[in-house]
Amino acid sequence: MRNLRVGIGQIITRLGDIKGNRERILRFIEKGTKEDVDVIVFPELSTLGFGSGDIYLDKINENLKLVEELIELSKKIKPYLIIGFVDRDERGFFYNAAGLIGNGKLIGVHRKLQLVNYRLFDEKRYFAPGTRAQVFNAPWGKTGILICEDVWFPEPARILAFRGAEVIFVLSASPFDREKPEVWKTFLTSRVYDNILPIIMVNQAGVQDGVTYWGGSMVFDASGNLLHQAKLLEEEFSVAEVNLELSKVLRRRDIRLRETRFEVIEELLNAYKEMQK
Amino acid sequence: MIDIHLSKKEVSLYTNIIINSIKTRIDKIKAKGGVVALSGGIDSSLVAVLAKKALGDRVLALIMPEEGVSPDTDTNHAKEIVRRFNIPHREIPINGAIDWFFNIFPEKELSKREVKLALLNVKPKIRMIINYLYANLENRIVIGTTNKTELLLGYGTKYGDLAADIYPIADLYKTQVWQLAEFVGIPTEIVKKKPTAGLWKGQTDEEELGHTYEEIDKILYTLVEMEFSVKEASEYLGMPASVIEDIFKRVKLSEHKRKTPTITRLSRMCLDKDWRYPVERY
Repeated sequence: MRNLRVGIGQIITRLGDIKGNRERILRFIEKGTKEDVDVIVFPELSTLGFGSGDIYLDKINENLKLVEELIELSKKIKPYLIIGFVDRDERGFFYNAAGLIGNGKLIGVHRKLQLVNYRLFDEKRYFAPGTRAQVFNAPWGKTGILICEDVWFPEPARILAFRGAEVIFVLSASPFDREKPEVWKTFLTSRVYDNILPIIMVNQAGVQDGVTYWGGSMVFDASGNLLHQAKLLEEEFSVAEVNLELSKVLRRRDIRLRETRFEVIEELLNAYKEMQK
Repeated sequence: MIDIHLSKKEVSLYTNIIINSIKTRIDKIKAKGGVVALSGGIDSSLVAVLAKKALGDRVLALIMPEEGVSPDTDTNHAKEIVRRFNIPHREIPINGAIDWFFNIFPEKELSKREVKLALLNVKPKIRMIINYLYANLENRIVIGTTNKTELLLGYGTKYGDLAADIYPIADLYKTQVWQLAEFVGIPTEIVKKKPTAGLWKGQTDEEELGHTYEEIDKILYTLVEMEFSVKEASEYLGMPASVIEDIFKRVKLSEHKRKTPTITRLSRMCLDKDWRYPVERY
């Protein structure tokens, strides 16, 4: 049996406080290293803190420097790291991004596909949307990364499943409001059922400017069982083990992924184009 | 649609979140603590108790009655709260300050209704001054006690009782405030009594507003959370459209009480429109 040992880095980040956030991240990496985990996962935009407003623009360089430091650090430790940060491309566009870091390298970067611009959110003010959903090779297998809103839509996880992802990590900073944790649990379960894949969601904790990030990070196995849930509201490091073979066992008889028909996907595209007209 | 009443689990979770938010703000800005104006009404009693849970003895409750006008029951309830929950406090009657203000005020036509009404609003502003006096004395923040019902109706005095640094219960309707109050162990007689702003003797909120809080909350919840139009809300609730319209008008007219003063925009970086930084900023 091939088990993945995951360190859930449910930290409290502080808005624009790179120094403080760095200390927290390093403290959790130390814990994960002691626990001999394969990977430590941190929430969305961990370097700067989700909800930082115009600070995203002011502190881009310090944030990138912290990512560089983590890449350097990864030479000396076993666990790989998945961490949310603000990425910038050669054109100077900003992205809400997540990096897979390990063995002294930045193995892959996922840029958030579905930016949030409703209710309290205004991500389009700062970020360009990502356009690709790729899987990255990690020592434990093919790995997909999504960011928060990406998983509120069925398509990104689906793309990763088609590309052979064996596990999907979801980094989030989800603000609490009524019934939010239950809503998340419901559609994360749907993504698992759709794709017959384990999903690990790591959420931010703590209050920032009156907005509470509810924590409660969740680990699902490929059959949709909630294997582990971190504490609500609180900062916490926890460890979960996920069986990466289970999806292959289930897919012997659950043929839905294999049987997804090209014609149906084509029809989906047609319908989408019609909707846009 | 979700009921306005919270489940038991939600009441406990919301209580936790509010306590956490008070504590976090104080810790982040390295303040010494918080000040709460405690009238003995349900809102301020709840905030005082939550602040005590968040800050321990770093909270200071200020009991500021207008003797002869503020109901004795309220003042007694305030004292009961500080005793029962062991909350550090001061008692400062504001009669002297009101008299002083009335004496220096040059417009002596006090029989005029508008003047009287305007002067009523001086009282919460006097309490505000004392709140901030104590806050400034020891690097504390003022913890506001308004709730979502009041804030939507504009039922509060701008720069008076609405003046504060944080509003921990302002996303809770009055109906939900009652639930949290009961949960944290505020005595039933405080929870059950008729709410009053204490502006004049014998005043009750529900008489002044013309509806019970239960009714008002149902209407507000339908308009704001469910986003129904006046007509839809009227059909849904089986209440006359005129009643709903009356409440909705209050909401529209009081928008200014929920905002910072509007800046006339001249630059590309107008501070209330283009500039966007969190308060808890590093």
